[in-house]
Amino acid sequence: MSKNPKKPKLGSQKMTAMDYVIFVILSLGALAILLPFWNVVMISFSTQKEYADNPLMLFPKNPTLESYQRLFSEGMIGSGYLNTLKILLIGLPLSMFLTTSMGYGLSRNKFPGKKLIFMLVLFTMIFNGGIVPLYLVMQNLNLTGNIMSVILAGSFSAFNLILMSNYFNGLPESLMESARIDGAGEWKILLKVVLPLSAPIIATITLFYGVAFWNGWYEAMVFLRKAEQMPLQNVLRSIIMEADVNAANASSMAAGKQSFSMGMKMAAVFITMVPIMCFFPLLQKHFAKGVLTGAIKT
Amino acid sequence: MKSAAAVPAKKPGDSKFQLFLREVWKNRMVYTLVLPGLVWLILFAYLPMGGLSLAFKDFKFREGILGSPWVGLDNFTYVFRDPAFLDAVWRTLAINIGKLIVQFPFPIILALLLNELRMRRFKKSLQTIFTFPNFLSWIVVSGVVINVLAYDGLVNSLIKLLGGTGINFLGSEKMFVPMIYLTDIWKSAGWGAIIYLAAISGIDTDQYEAAQIDGATRLQQMFKVTLPNIMPTITIMFILSVGGLMSSGFDQIFNLANAATKNVSEVLDVYIYRITFQSSTDFSFSSAVSLFRSIVNMILLLLADRAAKLMGGDGLFR
Repeated sequence: MSKNPKKPKLGSQKMTAMDYVIFVILSLGALAILLPFWNVVMISFSTQKEYADNPLMLFPKNPTLESYQRLFSEGMIGSGYLNTLKILLIGLPLSMFLTTSMGYGLSRNKFPGKKLIFMLVLFTMIFNGGIVPLYLVMQNLNLTGNIMSVILAGSFSAFNLILMSNYFNGLPESLMESARIDGAGEWKILLKVVLPLSAPIIATITLFYGVAFWNGWYEAMVFLRKAEQMPLQNVLRSIIMEADVNAANASSMAAGKQSFSMGMKMAAVFITMVPIMCFFPLLQKHFAKGVLTGAIKT
Repeated sequence: MKSAAAVPAKKPGDSKFQLFLREVWKNRMVYTLVLPGLVWLILFAYLPMGGLSLAFKDFKFREGILGSPWVGLDNFTYVFRDPAFLDAVWRTLAINIGKLIVQFPFPIILALLLNELRMRRFKKSLQTIFTFPNFLSWIVVSGVVINVLAYDGLVNSLIKLLGGTGINFLGSEKMFVPMIYLTDIWKSAGWGAIIYLAAISGIDTDQYEAAQIDGATRLQQMFKVTLPNIMPTITIMFILSVGGLMSSGFDQIFNLANAATKNVSEVLDVYIYRITFQSSTDFSFSSAVSLFRSIVNMILLLLADRAAKLMGGDGLFR
């Protein structure tokens, strides 16, 4: 590869027909993604009547918080939020502890058993028992019906571990060596030398675990039983499904005083995705960088 | 712990085993680093794998997993006699192979278009928009979808506005699979484009310059320079998705299926959920199905990995 002083400046050329075509196609694509979200949010702020008249609406004429009031007074959304926060609060530190310590351990120079342990990690990526035996293990550990089962099941990912370990591998060994000469143990080196140098990968992996915990529902559906233990996603799921049943019943009733189920569903959808919306742009640049460095080093 | 590094490497008369022990002792700190993760793996990955031995047993709650009697391949005979199981297997393959054909080009096209877009700022915000839905759960997306694709929802309102007749996206067996493809493209094409964009950004700019000197138009450059250069990435992504033929799509299908589509939506993982947690629970039977699924998955993945390596790529592992 020869070194070019500069990329050919495409931007200095005139806009051609092709540019406009691409612009239009991509804008339409973006619209196809944004419009459904916009519609969801607007319906959540509108009244039943207005929705029935015009489901296409871009702005409700009489915005109302009715759906949200009903959502919080009737539904389990509050407890769902709290349960998911509990999962994140315990699960994130636990998963980061497991992933950074093991990731650093496996990035160290050769030690007896390193290869075997690495194989054990890799094997879980190609073979897993699935949910049924995991359920039996949780039952034997007396964890079914306990939110810890959901936290534990999600607190480690071989994929994240390998990304982390690869990143650590790329750090200059001389830094760790000099800390070792100064008498620092491996745990101290991890905390004082490695972690401060690893902000991008830590942001990335935290995002991955955080999103996975936030979006998780299957383990909770299988391991937990009581409605008040359910995390946010499961609550949202039951709101969407239940309201479906209600809507079917309602059509046979006189359409007068029935509640606005679509409004409440959309309010629940919006409430569930707000945190992702807030964090996403912040962490986006981090994870793109982290994923790429991780992938290239493999 | 400070003296660990100072242990002499070799003494005359040491046996191999002593050397090994010395190595282990020297690295004892490293083992404490690895241990927590290893404990997790044993408890929540390898113990369940052992639990799959139920597939060869007649599980009795009172006797536990270890105490239950062995029954050989009996469970598998029952499994393969269940028409619902066979249907679920073929359905999974059909849906996922269709997915591979229909959906696969979208991230590539998106990446090519984004690459050609000249407005830098706009490109950045577009990428943000396109990747965003990937980070939502299928439950959230199903909430969006039941609104947008409902009979009186956004899309049908638009269709009617343009003079067409409404389509029952959500409640018809015929529309179920196309609806699955459509919503999956909507959710994940943008994320899939990222890897191709990364490959494109690694292309040597000399090639474009040479093409320009030869008088190639931008369209020609796209097809003659960009596309051939990302062909290895395309091949590997394709092979890797073959590895997921038996496993992908559960979250989506489970959350978008409803009573009206239950005849066309029971893929293998949905079947496993139903027989394990909804109908009469027979853990031996479920374990047999799970084991079958895991083994087929593994074979597909290994074949995909081997194929990727044969194509000169990196494969899944290393």
